[in-house]
Amino acid sequence: MSFRRRTLSLPYPLIAITHNGVRVMFAYVLRRLARAVVTVFAVVTAVFFLERLNGNPAAIMLSNTATPKQIATLSKALGFDRPLSVQYLSFVKGLLHGNFGTSLQSGTPALQLVLGRLPATLLLVLTGFIFGVALAMFCVLAIQLTGSHALRNGLLVAGQVRQAIPMFVFGVLLVLAFSVTLHWFPSQGEGSWKNLVLPALTVGTFEFALYLRFMDASFGEQSHQDYVRTAYAKGNAPHGVVLRHELRNVLLPILTIIGFNLGGLLGGSVIIETVFNWPGIGQLTVESVNTRDFPVVQASLLVASLAFVLVNIAVDLIYSVVDPRVRIR
Amino acid sequence: MNVLVTRTERKLAQWRSAGSAPPGAARPRRSRLRPATSVAIVLLFLVAVLVIVVPFLPSYNPYAINLSVALEPPFRSTAHLLGTDELGRDLLSRVSLATRISLLIVTFALMLNVLIGVSVGLTAGYYRGKADTVIMGSADLVLSFPILILLVTIVAVLGPSAQTIAVVLGCVFWVSYARVSRATALSLRSREYVISAVTQGASGWWVIRKHLLPQVVPQIAIMTSFDLGVLITVEASLSYLGLGIQPPTPSLGGMISDGQNYLQTSPWLCVLPSLVLLLLIGGVQFMSQRFTSEGQQSRGMTAT
Repeated sequence: MSFRRRTLSLPYPLIAITHNGVRVMFAYVLRRLARAVVTVFAVVTAVFFLERLNGNPAAIMLSNTATPKQIATLSKALGFDRPLSVQYLSFVKGLLHGNFGTSLQSGTPALQLVLGRLPATLLLVLTGFIFGVALAMFCVLAIQLTGSHALRNGLLVAGQVRQAIPMFVFGVLLVLAFSVTLHWFPSQGEGSWKNLVLPALTVGTFEFALYLRFMDASFGEQSHQDYVRTAYAKGNAPHGVVLRHELRNVLLPILTIIGFNLGGLLGGSVIIETVFNWPGIGQLTVESVNTRDFPVVQASLLVASLAFVLVNIAVDLIYSVVDPRVRIR
Repeated sequence: MNVLVTRTERKLAQWRSAGSAPPGAARPRRSRLRPATSVAIVLLFLVAVLVIVVPFLPSYNPYAINLSVALEPPFRSTAHLLGTDELGRDLLSRVSLATRISLLIVTFALMLNVLIGVSVGLTAGYYRGKADTVIMGSADLVLSFPILILLVTIVAVLGPSAQTIAVVLGCVFWVSYARVSRATALSLRSREYVISAVTQGASGWWVIRKHLLPQVVPQIAIMTSFDLGVLITVEASLSYLGLGIQPPTPSLGGMISDGQNYLQTSPWLCVLPSLVLLLLIGGVQFMSQRFTSEGQQSRGMTAT
């Protein structure tokens, strides 16, 4: 990790706002981005070669009944008949121009296709994420402020049961309950806010379970700290200690989890989009995988991993702004 | 003043009992089973019955197609206790076989992960130097991708099959094992007994095998119990997407995906595999919780 957590309680200046701090931060972002680009490039290259190792892509794209002549024609049209090194060079050249090749199915540029699906994915993921985190925060605060064991145990068990159900199973069960039986919400596609409810609920309850557990554990850790005891000893009311002293320390480690989780969600919405036929990147990826549309698969892998990296960089930066003890090196 | 103190004390005591035990004050061990553990045992027992006993039933046949009894609801006949799917195949048999296959794949993948992670991590931590940089760099590389889309891409490129999914799952989740093993090796390599072994001419391999490996085993065991649930979920998800086990071999994810087409008329096609998946993952998860909390407890004790 590029972070050093200072345990000394010296008053470190907020590094992000000093002149040098901006430079350090900028260098840090550049370094992270450079590493991300290298990794993504490495993976895209690996995918390129694996794809070719697996046989002639043209043959894979066509059905089993295709004649060798048809395969040869398609190979020639798509450039698969050239030597591997030449193919790779032109592939890399295309990458540097932001060109992932055109979709073998629709003929539109792959990257454009993927980016066109981005808003739908963002809408779904962010709605679910915000709903889940807000609900988890509300519940954890309710637990802390009421101090009720029954509430805490009940919520934690509910969260655990939810975590034991995979995303797609939960989605299918929701469809069964709310579309097939109750006819409240549509089960497929995109359109009005009603279409968003079930997929967002699937994502949201998953997030809720995740953050409930982490926030609860974090509160459990904080409650033994000396500063909490001091705050109580000074005569603060419990709700004051929880809201003003503990909460901000509880939220700090949660930020790190948000980075991983939100980044992963952006790429991992594959399942949920397939269940609800939601026209996002995930659904596009699965479609392209099934039709062997490799340029599109590669482009969506790239977009998903870049989103993942960007979210993590953003979280690291927010971390250093929120918690001045954390310094970027 | 007195009032304030008592209120504070009461509050603190309340939080303490809500969270883990305060440092230094080791709580007496309860011999009673915790509710989560007993639930886990019940769930896993049901799964065990499904996997072990069901294949011996006379009606067991996961592949026999009989269109005349297609889409039979559960509990109608003894021949098909839990009903049949759209091709008239016995659901109970199919669910049983699917669970068995899933467990086989996941166990293989988990062992592969542990093997890669532990050997790589111990090597990196013990030898340091270039090997360490390279290994931990590649670990970061694996971590810098959203895991599911990476899996989908790899499986898509290699062509979906049970073997592919077992190997691919086995090569993606090793990072946490490598990290833990490396950290242990780093902290142990300068201990007196390790140095003494080295001065007596012990080879690196010997030190790793005799001194480092036994120390990581408990931690790794706890982690596998957690990862087991994760891997089952991922395998089922990939099969649901059609990228895992291929038909006609049954898989829990694949059965749910097929059943979705009959959600209106025959919801049990989806509900049954979902239920089994829930039993399986829930059981593993509750069980792993027991291990993790115990592990933390014992770790806390050695620290104090």
